[in-house]
Amino acid sequence: MSKTILIGSPNSGKSLLFNRLTGLNQKVANFPGVTVNISTGQSITDPTSELMDFPGVYSLNGISAEEEVSIKAFFNALSNPDIGCIVCVVDATRLEKGLIFALQVLAACVNHNKPLIIAANMMDVLDQHGMQMNLAGLEAVLKVPVVGISAKSGLGLDALQAVISQHRDTPAPFSSDIIASDESVIHRQAQQLAANFGPKGDLLINAQTRLDQFFLHSWYGGIAFLAIMYLLFQSIFTWAAPVMDGVEAVIAGTADIILPLLPAGMVSDFVADALFGGIGAFLVFVPQIFVLTLVVGLLEDSGYLARAAVICHKPLRIFGLTGKSFVPMLSSVACAIPGIYAARTVDSPRKRWLTYLAIPLMPCSARLPVYSLLIAAFIPATKAFGGLVGWQGLAMFGIYVFGIVCGLLVTTVVSRTSQALRSDLPFVLEMPPYRLPSWRPLLRNAWNRSKHFVTKAGKVIFTVTVVIWLLGYFPNNGAALGESWLGQMGQFIEPVFAPFGLDWKYGVAILSSFLAREVFVGTLGTLFGIEGGEENIISLAEHIQNSGLPIGAGFALLVFFSIALQCVSTLAVLRRESGSWRLPAQLFVSYSIFAYLAAWTTFTLVEAIVN
Amino acid sequence: MTLWDLKQGTSATVASFVATLESSYRVRLMELGFHPGETIACVLAPSLGAPKLYRVNNTVYSLDDSVASLIMMG
Repeated sequence: MSKTILIGSPNSGKSLLFNRLTGLNQKVANFPGVTVNISTGQSITDPTSELMDFPGVYSLNGISAEEEVSIKAFFNALSNPDIGCIVCVVDATRLEKGLIFALQVLAACVNHNKPLIIAANMMDVLDQHGMQMNLAGLEAVLKVPVVGISAKSGLGLDALQAVISQHRDTPAPFSSDIIASDESVIHRQAQQLAANFGPKGDLLINAQTRLDQFFLHSWYGGIAFLAIMYLLFQSIFTWAAPVMDGVEAVIAGTADIILPLLPAGMVSDFVADALFGGIGAFLVFVPQIFVLTLVVGLLEDSGYLARAAVICHKPLRIFGLTGKSFVPMLSSVACAIPGIYAARTVDSPRKRWLTYLAIPLMPCSARLPVYSLLIAAFIPATKAFGGLVGWQGLAMFGIYVFGIVCGLLVTTVVSRTSQALRSDLPFVLEMPPYRLPSWRPLLRNAWNRSKHFVTKAGKVIFTVTVVIWLLGYFPNNGAALGESWLGQMGQFIEPVFAPFGLDWKYGVAILSSFLAREVFVGTLGTLFGIEGGEENIISLAEHIQNSGLPIGAGFALLVFFSIALQCVSTLAVLRRESGSWRLPAQLFVSYSIFAYLAAWTTFTLVEAIVN
Repeated sequence: MTLWDLKQGTSATVASFVATLESSYRVRLMELGFHPGETIACVLAPSLGAPKLYRVNNTVYSLDDSVASLIMMG
């Protein structure tokens, strides 16, 4: 089957075109070690044609490791006899920029004897504003087919497909006077071609500038930013919550149907706790991933994400981050997993790495039950500051701020002590035009991302779930958690947590919370003999109070949970996104040590003050 | 004068790049249109030192001071 490569710079509409041409028949391949994807799909209209969507790059001269991987893959593909044709997508509303890249691609195609087609996208925008582009004139000078299309409206796509079918495997004679390798010459040629054949006038850019004056205004822009970010945050909590409840209900309903059919015993326990519990533990994240991918995609495609990055850049730079780190970090306050996926929008590999370091320290919602329990147990339910606020509410606010401060502290220190690590990109951000996004590719992208999580990260999460279940079930067939291998491990590691006043029960609860932080509450409930610890936090808190646990130990646990990376799902997704186990392993070990030392310091300080 | 010094609503021509600018970044800036001889307009300078918006032909880019102060204007 003859293959066609789609290539173009970011914001050219290339991926939208790919989605239009291939429909749902897509596969995504990852390069090992980096976040570079190449999607492949069969053409809807021509079953003999396969399309490959290469990552958007500004130039064939890469300046980061990831760009170089993409560019090398492109040149390798040019040498591949299966590749029948290259389609370079340019934005007709910003023709000069697109042509600089297209001329580089043209030179590469000529050198490798491959036919090139230029797809001038956004023709619908030109039509709307009564602007024209001389496609035939450009085609005559470049001596390659130039097809006007709109990936959004579908305009010209049949013509493009017909040109692909006609020209693949047959390189056209090229215009030698247009082939250049010198950057200055290419720039001059692109400028000349855009002036001769491109749309005239400043209408589009003036409209964009007017909107920028609003969205980047000190007051209106700030209010709009807060409102949009509030909506984003709410979307993860409020919109995803009913679906998450629905997923849990379906899993529980299925379990209720299947479990009575099984004989009581080990098989039934395994299916109930490991299979349904394990699947439930990671499927529950899917609605959040879907909703956040959809909302971030909406912000990105509408052009607002770039403006949000401009607003956040200056304050985040102090902490070694970039403006683009804000949305992933904000998302992580709900859940680290969609936050890690959202970090793909950070183009600088170094800044993305620093963002990954901060994400696990953001106070995610899984920490909330743990915080609620410990605060109910150790902070009096009385009012402070003349009855204005409660101490418990203040404590909750304090521990949330503590997590965020820790995250920013880590990125500040690491960014200043490891300046040579990973390639960086300067803050040169293209401001894409404001556009109404197309829903279909956004929904498809959210679906693909959710599927990726279930099929890739799900395997790791499920394996760990089964291992923890086996440790908690044997050798006494689930009779008493305290006497299981997990219980024995908790007792074995008791000396580790003894310096901050915790006994073996907490050791077991901390070990089991590696599955997910909220499991801590349920495990403690089991060990204190309370059914449904998550629902009976107050009753469990009273048991903890009556057990004589020192107040310093309660504060130490709060600090420990706000830092430690006890979330197998986060580790599994970090491994998928960073391309190896190295980063999650480093983070797990270093945050465990950091959490332990901070907890010990807290215990010592609080006990010194109290006594 | 550097690009960062350009006031909102004014234009100037790129003269050269400061020698400390990494050569790969210099090539990339030129590919994006920040080419010696090219006229650049500062279309928006948000307050509080946020990155400024510059227009090159029909494209707008946002640059922070760490990059814009390395582009010398004529």
